[in-house]
Amino acid sequence: MDTQSYMPVPPGVGMEENYFSLDDILLSHERLPCRSDTAFPKLGFLEKSGETHDIPEGTKLEMPLWLAKGLYERKRHVISVDLPKVYREGWRTVFGADANVVDLHKMGPYYYGLGSQMLHFENAENTEIAQSILQTFIGRFRRTMDSSQNAYNEDTSLLLERLDCLERALFRSGQNGLNAFQLWERGRASQLTASSLVTNYRKRKITELQS
Amino acid sequence: MFCEKAVELVRELQRMSDGQLPAFNEDGIRQILEEMKALYEQNQSDVNEAKTEGKTELIPTIKFRHSCLLRNQRCIAAYLYDRLLRIRALRWEYGSVLPTAIRFHMCAEELEWFNQYKKSLATYMRSLGGEEGLDITQDMKPPKSLYIEVRCLKDHGEFEIDDGTVILLKKNSQHFLPRWKCEQLIRQGVLEHVIS
Amino acid sequence: MADALSEASDLSGGEESQEEDVLTPAELIARLEEAWLNEKFSPELLENKSELVECVMEQLTHMEENLQRVRKGDLKASIHRMEIDRIRFVLSSYLRSRLQKIEKFFPHVLEKEKSRADGDPSFLSPEEFAFAKEYLANTEVYLKAVALKHMPPNLQSIDMLKAVPQPCLDSFVFLRVKERQDNILVEPETDDQREYVVDLEEGSQHLMRYRTIAPLVASGAVQLI
Repeated sequence: MDTQSYMPVPPGVGMEENYFSLDDILLSHERLPCRSDTAFPKLGFLEKSGETHDIPEGTKLEMPLWLAKGLYERKRHVISVDLPKVYREGWRTVFGADANVVDLHKMGPYYYGLGSQMLHFENAENTEIAQSILQTFIGRFRRTMDSSQNAYNEDTSLLLERLDCLERALFRSGQNGLNAFQLWERGRASQLTASSLVTNYRKRKITELQS
Repeated sequence: MFCEKAVELVRELQRMSDGQLPAFNEDGIRQILEEMKALYEQNQSDVNEAKTEGKTELIPTIKFRHSCLLRNQRCIAAYLYDRLLRIRALRWEYGSVLPTAIRFHMCAEELEWFNQYKKSLATYMRSLGGEEGLDITQDMKPPKSLYIEVRCLKDHGEFEIDDGTVILLKKNSQHFLPRWKCEQLIRQGVLEHVIS
Repeated sequence: MADALSEASDLSGGEESQEEDVLTPAELIARLEEAWLNEKFSPELLENKSELVECVMEQLTHMEENLQRVRKGDLKASIHRMEIDRIRFVLSSYLRSRLQKIEKFFPHVLEKEKSRADGDPSFLSPEEFAFAKEYLANTEVYLKAVALKHMPPNLQSIDMLKAVPQPCLDSFVFLRVKERQDNILVEPETDDQREYVVDLEEGSQHLMRYRTIAPLVASGAVQLI
């Protein structure tokens, strides 16, 4: 509906990132296990030990996704990117057995997003990773949807606890639909209400006064 | 690591996902711009070295810093753009006059953007036929009745309705008023729509 | 809604509107509702309907004027007042959806307008075009003034066409078929599926990818719901 006036830039779909999306910026801050395939002169101070002047070739490094994407080249060897363990075969088997029992918030919280981004890097297992992410999503979707449609007027923090960011967004939109429907059923859909921005500013003012 | 400040800036907005506008983080932006300046200067000198002395081994490092520069640019731009979306929302929720507390959270350029936006929107709405145009920031929900019961949540003073009658909006007083006259006051939290 | 409206035109003494394409008030409102729902549910900005908007605005003014002549306290008056409010709501909501999309996709909306061939209908009304241009200029000036001009020389501009996301034409929409369609090509959802064709029966309802039926929305053969 047109009642919510603040509409943030949504995250990109699949392998895409949206430049202005705050979610995508935080997703691309996730760290990946990498290895330098060439030396990086003068950047030794960035390493944990920080003793050498350069980062030598063959150094194991943790790099945020955005940097790995910036440095990675298919033809030339600058860095190689390894799979985070949730996307490796061992974990894929676990997900394949029963995706519902996994705590995707702890394993993620950008399990789907980061997994899709991993496809930017050449890897022999890419097809299996893509399949595994898709199957995991399908396997968990029904539960996410059902719980979002049945939890009315109750504390949902427990339900949300184990969900990935994408699943949380879906859960919330399901909840919004449910709440709107309930309002309508009680004949309250046409009630004019104060803007949520206004009420939240007021709440914040009060807490600021109290603290 | 580089770009840590930049992601902090983004997190600051992300934490307020309901669209509230936190205070403009001028200091954060300044620090990021300083980091960018340093990265750029180091790259300039390494580019020269690579060119004049043929030191091609510097290229990976230059690329590394350039990625950081782009990242910083993106974080700042996304921070500013998202703030604009929040400021835009304020025009629709509060009307064209903002409470001082909120203006206080905006930088001078943001106020300028807001004023321009207000002007563009007003010009557009005036152009919609009729003598006064059409205020599309009203009528946000489908109407169910002409008059509605409202309760006053704070003292608001005198208020004129259609036919020229003036009523006093006093805290806790209750009134039966034309719906379209009340919509904005309800959104601003002055009146409350009472449904029995 | 339609009944009260045709009564409204009785009230006016049955004057015909001066438009060449003569519509009864009821037809006019039905068209507005179609345009409103299509705009509300399609992910991209649709072709503007300025003429329709103008006619509805005229109709509203007309009804207001007639109301002035009705005795105060007449029950008829409040029914007509209510009718005016409801039409104004639909019209505002329609224009709001359009403005929202213009703000959301402004660089792409303007690009499309720029590349439009002479004689092709414009997606934007002249007023919306002006608004979109101002929105772009205002936003660029702002980004430049606060941060970009303080950045290194090679980073002082942002390609807004790349930075602002495009409408997602692959999103799914609900639709009702107004004119029967044969052999609509549906693209496969997964790798092991093949593309296939469907026939859309008149009056049937579907959930489909917007991209597949976008031309049918434009031609009026289907209605988004």
